[in-house]
Amino acid sequence: MKPDMFYSRGLQLSKIKVFVAAIMAPGFHFDRWFCLFRKSWSDDHTLLISKEKVKPEHLELLVKTEWQLSYVTPLYQFRHTQLKSYSRQLSAFIAAEKQEGLAVEVGGLQNTFKVSFSVLQGLAETSDDPETVLIQVPMFARQEDPPKTVWCGWLSCINGNPEYLQSLPKDFTCLPLFCSKGAEDLSSLVKSWLQRTFDCCFGPLDINQTTLQWLAALWTNCHMETNIQNLKMIWTLPVLPPLQVTYTVDSDDVLDLWRSTRESSAEKSREAEDEVCIDFSEVTRFMQGLMSHFYRHFRVDLSAGELNQVSSALGSAKVNGKIKISSSRYLISIFSLLTECALLKMPI
Amino acid sequence: MDNSAKHLLQRLVRRIPASMLKSTLDKWERLTAEKRKSLDFTQSKWIITQELVALCEKSELTVKHITELEMIYITENPNQGMWHTFQLVEPEDDAHSVELMQFKEQFKSHLRELQRNVSVKIKKHTDQAVWIRVAWGDGLSSPNHLKATYVVLYLQTPYVFVNALSSKHKPLLLQALTLSTRHQQIKAANLSGQKLTALRDLLMRQYQQVFPTKYPSPLAESDQSISKLRVEKVQAEASANRHRMAGETFGDGMLPALQSAVFKLETKFKDPTNEAMTQRDEPFICSVKFSSSNLLESLRHCASSGIASTPVTPMLSSIPLKGRNYFVITDNVLTA
Repeated sequence: MKPDMFYSRGLQLSKIKVFVAAIMAPGFHFDRWFCLFRKSWSDDHTLLISKEKVKPEHLELLVKTEWQLSYVTPLYQFRHTQLKSYSRQLSAFIAAEKQEGLAVEVGGLQNTFKVSFSVLQGLAETSDDPETVLIQVPMFARQEDPPKTVWCGWLSCINGNPEYLQSLPKDFTCLPLFCSKGAEDLSSLVKSWLQRTFDCCFGPLDINQTTLQWLAALWTNCHMETNIQNLKMIWTLPVLPPLQVTYTVDSDDVLDLWRSTRESSAEKSREAEDEVCIDFSEVTRFMQGLMSHFYRHFRVDLSAGELNQVSSALGSAKVNGKIKISSSRYLISIFSLLTECALLKMPI
Repeated sequence: MDNSAKHLLQRLVRRIPASMLKSTLDKWERLTAEKRKSLDFTQSKWIITQELVALCEKSELTVKHITELEMIYITENPNQGMWHTFQLVEPEDDAHSVELMQFKEQFKSHLRELQRNVSVKIKKHTDQAVWIRVAWGDGLSSPNHLKATYVVLYLQTPYVFVNALSSKHKPLLLQALTLSTRHQQIKAANLSGQKLTALRDLLMRQYQQVFPTKYPSPLAESDQSISKLRVEKVQAEASANRHRMAGETFGDGMLPALQSAVFKLETKFKDPTNEAMTQRDEPFICSVKFSSSNLLESLRHCASSGIASTPVTPMLSSIPLKGRNYFVITDNVLTA
């Protein structure tokens, strides 16, 4: 095993099966979504996040950072070959917007915003996925100082639904997941430039209850390979004043609970030994187990409230569309899930 | 005015919000009215600090005076930092007759016996509270006034509230308190929070409590205006019951603004629908933290709205009844 290769063991999202008919129908239900986890070690199935795939400095950029999520409709006439030109255009746009109303300084602000567009290679999983585009806005405090990135964002499509991607007209590039961090005013400027240049439209990607529950189960499942330390869930109950409940479960105990809910459904569909299929009903049973233990002690019904946040040592996800991945191992899996959420949320 | 006094003053002024600076200085009375008038409070904090330091220097004020100012500020604005509660137990025969003067002397002398170079200030507040400020030094250094510990106690009650006490000094302070109040022991009361007033009110029951009555309020009479539909009547009764039980458990009217409660659960997982987990011998380790801007009001609302089943479980009712907000629950405790 080469030391510079990071294997994503066990939990490998090699395929997300989405019912095509369902995605076209207006009443698509997230819970009919099946996730295929393959426990095999065969080379063609392992997801390698290796040096050849994603550069370490890119990986470092992506993990341990909290990203604000948005969805974006397909970009019209976006070319991966024109990135330098886009960098110049966006720099000028930001400089102009920032200068509105102020007297223009000779050779001043033009140099302060040197936006850079680049390709973040290695995240695109299938042949239909366009390459991820990274946008960075560095700020030069003084000429001599190394630039500090004040804003960073990336557009990607990871394991996007192939039928949908192939159905798009030629001139459209689908990069539905937009992640950003940094000042809100810069986020609006970048989005507004992208909107007018590529005739697309942005919207907030909230992480709904279903997805949060899914992540809770997913991260618990990961404890079989990586220590998640604990599973923390934050609920809000609709009383006055609002009551926040932070429910943290020890990692070994929550894994036992997860396994016990899966065992009971194991009888139904025994597929090939190396394939493990997770049904959303198992996730529901898992959450119900957690809530019933809570109810036994406090006689308070957590389902009366809303799950706002789920976190573990592997990352955190908040209902207002903020996500943080702390381990590169599960990066592809989580962002595939989010790409799917973005595709579903798009108003097309 | 030496450097340490200047530094202390600067740090203190930085800490006091601009809106409270004038009133705090007025209460202090160490600067003449004339000198106070000369300060322009519309200026930036930085400038005010400089001017204040200059004035104090002219008046030849010392560290002792600056610590007075700090004590006034904290006493008037006690809801900051983290307060921990302790309870004095096993009173001696003469514990009830301990008076302020006696306590002051005894506390200072006991503490000085245990630790050299401590600076102690004791003041009685208007509401019977005794405020103590301790700056700790040791055999080699003078007291550190930048990290003073504050203690609040009410002489005729067993409760003591402490803020900013390091683990190193904890045994010394607790021993001095125990001896000077004529008790044999002191223990942690498992009640902490930022708002001293909430902790105090909770323990001293200084809020309106409702006691269970055999005959609840005369709702029956006002029923005449409600529609005769049985379902509505039953719902109204159920709702009235919930409200009554919620009030009995948590109190009526304004409740002390406790902000959080933590439960460490070490109980077994019991669920008839999940055999595998129920058969486990090991406990299901988890912790639950409830937080709110006013926890007791939130819980009361949970009870009255049905989110929490009534009668309210002893786990939650223990908060106001026992006056604590930290619990470790094992299977013995749960079944008890």
